Parts: sequence; C-alpha cells; structure tokens
Amino acid sequence: MTTVEKLKMILVEDLNLEELTPADIYENAPLFGEGLGLDSLDAVELIVIMQKRFGIEIQNLDEGKAAFQSVHALASYIEGRLKTG
Amino acid sequence: MNGTERIVIEGIGVVGGFGCGISDLSRALTEAAFSPGTFDLSTGSGTVRIPAFQADDSRLVEFIPVRTLRRIDRFSRLALLGSHLALADAELPEAERSRLGIIIASGYGPTGITYAFLKSFINDGDICASPTYFANSVHNSAAAHISIQLGAMGPNLTVTHFHLSVPSALATARLWLAEGKAQRVLFGAVDELSELIGYVRYRTRDAGPAVPMTPLRTEMETSIPGEGAAFLLLARESAARCGYCALDASTTGCPPISGIPLPEPGLLVLGADGCRESGRRYAAVAQNARVACYTPLYGSMPAGPAFDAAAAALMLKGGRVFPSPGADFRDFPATVPAGGDPVGGDRISCLTLAGDEAYGLTTLGKLSGTTGECAKEE
Amino acid sequence: MSGAPIAITGMGCICAAGGNLSDSMEALLRGERHPAPPMRFASDHPIPHPVFEAVGFEEPPDLLRTSAFALHAAREAVADAGLDRKTLGSLRVGVCVGTTVGAVMSEETFCRGYLAGGVPDMAPIHRILRSNPADVIAREFDLSGPRQTVVTACSSGTDAVGIAGSWIRAGLCDAAIAGGADELGRITYIGFISLMITDDSPCKPFDRHRKGLNLGEGAAMLVLASERVLRRSGIRARSFLLGYGSASDAYHLTAPRPDGAGLRSAITEALATGGVSSASVAFVNAHGTGTPDNDRVEGRVLHDILPGVPFLSTKGYTGHTLGAAGAIEAVFTAACLEIGKIPANAGFETPDPEIGVTPVREVTTVEGTVALSESLAFGGNNSVVVLGKA
Repeated sequence: MTTVEKLKMILVEDLNLEELTPADIYENAPLFGEGLGLDSLDAVELIVIMQKRFGIEIQNLDEGKAAFQSVHALASYIEGRLKTG
Repeated sequence: MNGTERIVIEGIGVVGGFGCGISDLSRALTEAAFSPGTFDLSTGSGTVRIPAFQADDSRLVEFIPVRTLRRIDRFSRLALLGSHLALADAELPEAERSRLGIIIASGYGPTGITYAFLKSFINDGDICASPTYFANSVHNSAAAHISIQLGAMGPNLTVTHFHLSVPSALATARLWLAEGKAQRVLFGAVDELSELIGYVRYRTRDAGPAVPMTPLRTEMETSIPGEGAAFLLLARESAARCGYCALDASTTGCPPISGIPLPEPGLLVLGADGCRESGRRYAAVAQNARVACYTPLYGSMPAGPAFDAAAAALMLKGGRVFPSPGADFRDFPATVPAGGDPVGGDRISCLTLAGDEAYGLTTLGKLSGTTGECAKEE
Repeated sequence: MSGAPIAITGMGCICAAGGNLSDSMEALLRGERHPAPPMRFASDHPIPHPVFEAVGFEEPPDLLRTSAFALHAAREAVADAGLDRKTLGSLRVGVCVGTTVGAVMSEETFCRGYLAGGVPDMAPIHRILRSNPADVIAREFDLSGPRQTVVTACSSGTDAVGIAGSWIRAGLCDAAIAGGADELGRITYIGFISLMITDDSPCKPFDRHRKGLNLGEGAAMLVLASERVLRRSGIRARSFLLGYGSASDAYHLTAPRPDGAGLRSAITEALATGGVSSASVAFVNAHGTGTPDNDRVEGRVLHDILPGVPFLSTKGYTGHTLGAAGAIEAVFTAACLEIGKIPANAGFETPDPEIGVTPVREVTTVEGTVALSESLAFGGNNSVVVLGKA
C-alpha cells in the first residue's frame, strides 16, 4: 500500500469521516478550508495522528501547517521524515 | 416586563428507552408497559448482561447531516436530538433560534467521551492524547454544539450536580426568562449510559435478581439504569405561541424541620428510581399524598426529573393521570391514582431527593386562558 | 439581573500567588510569579510545561482537591463577612460553584484498572460522589438554600457569581456563597497540551510573542447578600455586584469567534444590567490567557468598546485556573477597587500591533468606582460581571 493510500484510510478512520471512502478523497485537494474542510481542531488531531500512526513528532502548528496542505503533500512529508529518521 | 408572568412549556423533545419523540413518550405513559433492553458490560470477571433503558439516537440524521456529526460524541448527539425534537414540537420559526438561551442539566456529564479521552493516552502514551476527545469531554460541549448548530447566541449554561441537576437548572431557566435575559430558553436534561457509568453503577448498587423496576416497593433494590435526553422549550406566557402547561417553580435546597414544603394537592410525581436508600426517604416524604411514579418507563438516571416534568406537562394538558407502571404499591403509604383518573387540581409537582437531605421540587401548572395548540404529534 | 446592587460581604481566595486573598494581592502588587514544571504529578511529555500550583496545600484524603480548595476559600470568605453559624442558620443561604474537575465522573487510576480488565478499588469514585464542591460547602455551613454546580468551562466562576446574584435579586435566597474551584491534575494538563494552546515557557498575556496559556489551580468564594440582610445583621459590604452579562459565540468548540461578537454582547448586557456606562469603567480584569486567539479577539473588543480603559490579565500570576478563574478574578477585581490600584500584567513586554491596545505594565492607580471582570470559555461562552466600589 502506498503512503497516500494508507494516509487516506487513516484520515477516514481517525477523523471519523463516516460518509467518505478513501477513494472519495482527492489527493491534491486542500485538507483545510475547502476540499476536505478540516479545521483547527482537526489540525491538532492530525499532529497526534502523525505521532501515533507514523511515530513522527511535529513540534508546533506552523510546522504542521506547511505539511498539511493536501494528502499528497502530507504523504511526501511523511516519507521524507521517515527516511531521515 | 411583568415579573410575575408565567413561564410556559411550548415544546417537548424526548428520547429514551421508551422511544423517540413526545408521541412515543405519551404512548409509553398510557400503556405503562415495562420494557427495558439489555446492556453488555465488561467487568473484571467477564461480560455481564444487565437490563438497561437505552436510547436510540438514529433519528438525529433527520435534523443534522452525517458529515456535521463526525466529531460529535454520543452524549452531544442525544442532546442535539432532544433539542431538535423540542423545537420541531413547538414549530419554532428558524428566525427565533438566534436568540435562544440554552441550558443543559446532566447528572454525570459526557462520561463516554471522557473515558475515551483517558483511553487515548492510557493506551498510547501522554503525547497521543486526542485533542478532539478532550474538547468534547469538557462538560459544556453539548450546549456548545447546540448553540453552534442553531446559531444561538444567547446565554448558555451547563449544570452538573448529580440528582439536583434538573431542578437546579430549571430554576435558572425561569430566572433568565423573568429577567428578560433570553426570549426563550431551550432547556435539556441529558445522561448517557456509558460503559464507565454502567460499571460504576454495577459496583455501587446491589445487583439482586432481575426483577421489574418497582420504585414504590421501597424495601427492595430494583433500579435499572437509563439514558436519554428530555428537552423543554420555555417562553414567557406573553411570548409563547402555544403551550402544554406552565413551569411555575423549581426549588432546590434542604428542607426545614417541618419537612419539604409540598404544594397543595394535585399530584406529586416521585423521582423514586428503585434505589433502596432513597426509596425509604421518598416513602417518608410522600406519606398521605397523592403520588405517581414513571421512572420504570425510562430508567434510573439524574436526568429523570426532566422526563417526569414532560409526563406532568402531558397530564396537565390532557387533564388525566397516567397509570404508574407496576401494580405493586402495597407498602407505599400514599394514594396512587389509576390511569385515566382526573389530575384533580391545577398543579403537578415533581420531587427529586438527592444526597445530604437535599431535594429538588419542580411545580408545573395548568394553563388558563387562550394559549393555543401548536404541539405537533409525530 | 438589573435592579438593586448585591453586596459582596466577604471574600476568600487560594491560588499559586497565595493561600488567602491578602497574600495573593500582595504577590500581585509585588509583580511576583512562580511558574514551574508540575511537582504534584508527572507526565511523559518530553518538555514540561510551566504551571501554577498552589504549593503547600494538601487536601484531606476523603475529599477531591478541588472541593478542598472550595472549602478553604469559603471558610475565608465567611469569616471575612463576619457571619457566624447562628446568623447563617437564620438565613436562607444558597451555594453556586463553578468547576470543571469537581464535576467529572472519572479518575485515572480507576480507569486504568478497569481498562486493564481488573476490579479497581472504588475509593476514587466514592470520593467523587461525596465531593461535589457546592454540596461540600453546604454541608460545612449547614445551608438550606438553592444549590448549583456550574460547568461552563473557563467562564464557570464568573457565571456562578452572576447566577447567585440573580437568585438573591429574585428572592430565592437571602445570601449566597458563590465562586469557583479547580485543581490541576494530569488529565487536564495532558488535555490542554494536546490542543497545543499551552506555552512551554511562562505565559505572556497580550504580548506579541505569546504562545499559549499556563494552567493553574485554586479557588475563590464570595459571600453575596441582599441589602435587607446587611441592614438586619449589621455586616458591611466590601463591594457590590452590579451587573452580569453572558452570551455565546455559536462558532466553534475551542476557538473564539474572530469578531468577538459574543464578548461584545456580554459586555453590553453586563453594563446595561449594572446601570453603568462604559465611560465609568475604571479598569477591566481581562480573561487574557496568553493564547494567540483569545488575546487577539479579546484585545480587539476592548480596543473597540472600552478604548483607553486600563486593563490587565492576572493569569500571569495564577495561571489559567479554569472553573476557578472567573471567581479568582472577581475577587481580585473587588480587592483592586478597594485599594484603587491594579497590578501590572505579568508576562507582557512587547505590544501586538494586531491587537492595538496594551495592558498595564506597572502597578497603576485607578480612579473610578466600577470595574469589569470577563471570561471567555471553550464552547464559546462569554461572561462578564460588573463590580462596584462600596
């Protein structure tokens, strides 16, 4: 499973996006505002999800904001962080 | 503004073990059928199946899209459902919603999501604690969700005080209306039967043989846990478009030596819920009164008195008493009218006994005059 | 709640700044604060966040720490009011307490035991069941009047004071003990850090470089009474509760409404019910948690509605005490009115151009007889009380 596919599954499950399937999520659509329509509470939840599901620590919201642009951007960020350890 | 103007119950929204909506409650009260479900509880020695009155919140999607509910926990879902049912029952125009005051009363608060929050860091470490679960475990989250969904920017209050929660919060609801702090108040009592509360009850109550819930057999422990939401839309009489009855008073405190000041005869609805210790106290207070008890229709929970108030509202509107479920009143030192008897007065009081000799008493009154019909039967 | 002022006849307070009101006020006026990593509990967060614990206060084993704080403050307030038990017994006295932890029906050790499939000791649950802070106070003083536990998060203390005032105005009771109490524990600490609204250094309310709040703990209680009680018992008023306003943002579970509409509405209502104009406000005790969002929204509202009125946050000295905050800040406000001085806003150095106003940076003399204390809560509740000098 690619990082993008794994990430979509995790988003649906951990953010309780009940009415969506991973296939419904566009990889390049914004996560926040329009697109998936997540908000500030989801942003801090995503930071915890990064820790719990990928072991990746994000220190502050600014760091998070840069990474959370879209599913594609986040998947790249995750791969990058996992490579550097 | 007339300081002595009556407060009217314009709409009622209820969900609990008896069903969903005022029609289901009315039917359950009329039939007095005792029908709890079951709840599978994990304990240290395996899973135990206990009788329980569980609420079904599936009708919430008639009012709120699934997408909007994604982060909203069960406690808040019950609250949202109760609130929408009450507004629909009163046929309140949408334009009126922004000025609503909102008051939530709960005995224990959102224990389900609170436990989920603890689990999130117990299982995965402190740094994996879920912020969403934490935000929802703050006790006023249900009231916040309601205000956000309705766009209600009036005053907002949540009260959590075990068995005094409902009468205490209703007193503030009346005050807000009398002071003109809000045009209307959407009051709701909510309690959920979460795994945690189920387990606490299991450990703190004698688990006797499974018997019907008979609160007026006071020498026995027969309580069965319940959950649900009971909402009342309240308005000053001059502003009310319709009404079931008036909410004339709500008091909490400790009684003087002479005892709890019970209003003159009408009917006294007892919040006795099958717990043995309070059963004896109810019997002592209710001596020689004319009483009814409906807790076997929705179960034992601190939100119970709000369901009692809903039952009283239906009785004052219809003029007839509902039968008290369970025919076994032989030991109870008070008169229990039969179903269909006249209410026998203009007032019904709902009595709740709490710890420390404290009590809550809510009095509802028949409406005189021409407040019309708008209650919608579903 | 418009009508006759309600007398504040006694006050009590315990927080990180001091074990009673007088000691706390002295620390505030000295500009002294002691944020430190938590000592009473541990967490596996890699970076400890500074908190404001009421060091040296030990609760009895049979009571929640929250309720022990409440009782401590209530005892000080009742003694301050000069009310003996006989007088209290002759009056109908209510109790209205704001809290968060004091109403929570769960405890970590118990839940860990249950989650692990064991049979945990029930002692923590029994402690919770007997520790409702309003009940604890009612029991202590044998009070027969109305009772309420307000759980409106960060505005609970302000709401409890405002509601108790309404009870007295409406004749539901002759007097009331009203306030708030909250202890700082692991669950609260972990929860706030997960929301990423805490600062890992001492908080800087209204400062351009503020990063978040620091948590605190404590309690404050006020003895409120009607004028009739004052006349009959001969006790004196320290100050007066003139007005109370509250309104919702109806916006978001944790973030304040960007335009501050709820706070504007609450301030307007508080002033109206108090029969005072914004021009007569001597100072404002702001909510001022030190979070980017709160201070921006609150600061902009103060800039718009109360331009030129000195304001400060005392959370730089106490931390954010949640359910106790509104009550602690109400007693600080009343105490400041008495002495005609407000302390400096601890933690503030650099103005934030986005806010456009700055809090007081040093002890400041205030003239004028009226002040506001305001609270903005999770869930979007905004509550304000108006206090008047005696």
